Amino acid sequence: MKILVVEDDKTVGDYVRRGLDEAGYHVDLVGDGDEGLRRASGRGAGYDMMVLDLRLPKLSGIDVLRTLRDRGVGLPVLVLTAQDSVDFKVQALRMGADDYVTKPFAFEELLARVEALGRRPKAIAPPTLKVNGLVLDTGSREVTRDGKPIELTPKEYAVLEYLMRHQGRVMSRTLITEYAWDYHFDPGTNIVDVVITRLRKKIDHAKEPKLIHTVRGVGYVVRA
Amino acid sequence: MTVWYATALILSIGVFAVVLYFSRRSATYQDLDRRIQSEADLTAGILAESYHARGVLVEKDTAGRPVLVQEVAAVLEVVPDFLLVTSRDGRLLFASPDARALTFAEFEQLNAITGPPDASARLPGRFRIEPNGPTLHYLVRPVPDAGEQFGAIFAAADTRDAELRLEQLLTTILIAFVVGVVPAIFVGRWIAGRALEPVDQMITEVREITDGRTLHRRLAVPMERDELGRLAETLNQMMARLERNFAALRRFTADASHELKTPLTVVRAGVERAITRPDVPPETLAPLEETLQEVNRMTELLDSLLTLARADEGRAELHREPVDLREIIAEAGETGELLAEHAGVGMEIRLPPEPVVVSVDRSRVRQLALNLIENAVKYTPRGGQVSVELAGSDGRGVFTVADTGIGIAPGDLPHIFDRFWRADSARTRTSERAGTGLGLAISKWIAEAHGGTIEVQSRPGRGTTFTVGLPRV
Repeated sequence: MKILVVEDDKTVGDYVRRGLDEAGYHVDLVGDGDEGLRRASGRGAGYDMMVLDLRLPKLSGIDVLRTLRDRGVGLPVLVLTAQDSVDFKVQALRMGADDYVTKPFAFEELLARVEALGRRPKAIAPPTLKVNGLVLDTGSREVTRDGKPIELTPKEYAVLEYLMRHQGRVMSRTLITEYAWDYHFDPGTNIVDVVITRLRKKIDHAKEPKLIHTVRGVGYVVRA
Repeated sequence: MTVWYATALILSIGVFAVVLYFSRRSATYQDLDRRIQSEADLTAGILAESYHARGVLVEKDTAGRPVLVQEVAAVLEVVPDFLLVTSRDGRLLFASPDARALTFAEFEQLNAITGPPDASARLPGRFRIEPNGPTLHYLVRPVPDAGEQFGAIFAAADTRDAELRLEQLLTTILIAFVVGVVPAIFVGRWIAGRALEPVDQMITEVREITDGRTLHRRLAVPMERDELGRLAETLNQMMARLERNFAALRRFTADASHELKTPLTVVRAGVERAITRPDVPPETLAPLEETLQEVNRMTELLDSLLTLARADEGRAELHREPVDLREIIAEAGETGELLAEHAGVGMEIRLPPEPVVVSVDRSRVRQLALNLIENAVKYTPRGGQVSVELAGSDGRGVFTVADTGIGIAPGDLPHIFDRFWRADSARTRTSERAGTGLGLAISKWIAEAHGGTIEVQSRPGRGTTFTVGLPRV
């Protein structure tokens, strides 16, 4: 699957390209609107999706979008914008954008929206996540350990899913919070600690081996 | 306006009437004084001429009393008012018909003035004949050119006529006052109303142009280039300037949001890339995690500022959709339970069995609920209790967040919705970082932007209750 990323800021552009690369996409990065429009509407380029920054040199994102749609190009477009006002988003959607992500964004959010737009099975999320005897079914949202069902609240489920999806990797509290609380919530307390305490009672209590591990000062990791 | 006009009118007419009355009064009494003066002078002249012509002017009447000779007395008979002529030794020689008409007791009162030998040295004056007689103005003068026979001439006039005329004048003034002023006030009010009508209209128009959305509107400028026309033009110029400033502010807001958020995105991207690498040692992860937290705090602060800036302009939009408030409160409530558990505070959530559907911006109301619940937990000491309750009443969805926390001092209550307002730092648990100070300001805006209300009741040491009402649409 080929994605065209149009972003003038090099750091952000590189970051998006590398992240999407890792997620298994083929990514081309261009730095201005003219070039983006040329590539996207050129025949044979064969892009499946475009990630478009709205503020670009030469030709603005809105103009790129409008011209593309005027030319009848139906390529799915995900817009990156610093404007989080509703009317601006509405304007972008009316211009033919398919979705948007507000800067600054968590890569997880961008990836989730790219996946949704691409309408394909999640590359890094097989329907069932397994760590040792702990099984999480992302379809039915059912969790079992050693075959016994475990009841989880929505936030507990979200935190566990995130950790299991990145099993073996230390996930910081902030990243976990962002994922489980819709990316824009900063309670100022380590609310994740509370969820982890609950999860441990339900998952690791009187069981061996322990699956949820604390990394002091940073966050948590799920591994066998 | 009308009251001022009426007051001024009444005052000026009143002053006019008082001045008129008193000047008439003093003129009337001066006339009276001149009259008795001329009567006395005339009498003195007649006596002097008669003396030159005849010498002796006193004769004895049939009872042997001295009187003025018949011929002279006959001349003096025609003098009106009160006229007395006395001899050198104070005896009465002549009294005019008016004086003779008095009763004896009354007459004696006149005599008391003319009787004494030095009577002619008296100054003019006034007195009232008791018990029921008229008030008299009098004067006494000597008779120098009539030999040694006469003591003094006493002339007096009563003020009854004069007072009657003054009373009539007063009545006339009063009637004219009532008849003139009352209609003048009503007419004045009508005229003022007519003159001010365009001003009223202008006030209404200006009031309608309240926020950034309607600033492009202008007042209608009347055809006449009078004061009102110039006022309308001036206001229009002012609004044009305001409109330009608002546009500049909007541009600045948009630019600032982009200029600040792009570097934040860059920082965030760098940190996130580093923090998610599988091989980073934990001692490197910790500072990265702190940086990420800080980036999020800055993002949140920036979003709050931009939200309020747009709200000030009247441009903050709501994306309304029908929402069951139970979902929002339940979700915020779960977060609240987690926060409460962390803080050692009890949390109770009561939801009604039936849906409470309102047309609101889901993410905004979620933010509002989270703000209030978070605050309640933050300001409630360990062992306290936070209760969240949702109820659907007629036409409104109402939720309350009540805590048993430290409460808010009465003096602070009016300020808690102010931007960047914080009670003294002793309020928060020291282990926690303070918020942005914008949470309640934004909460208030969210509630009011939906046409709803937010209210607070609090007693220091007992707890605080926030009540939010959102209209069902």
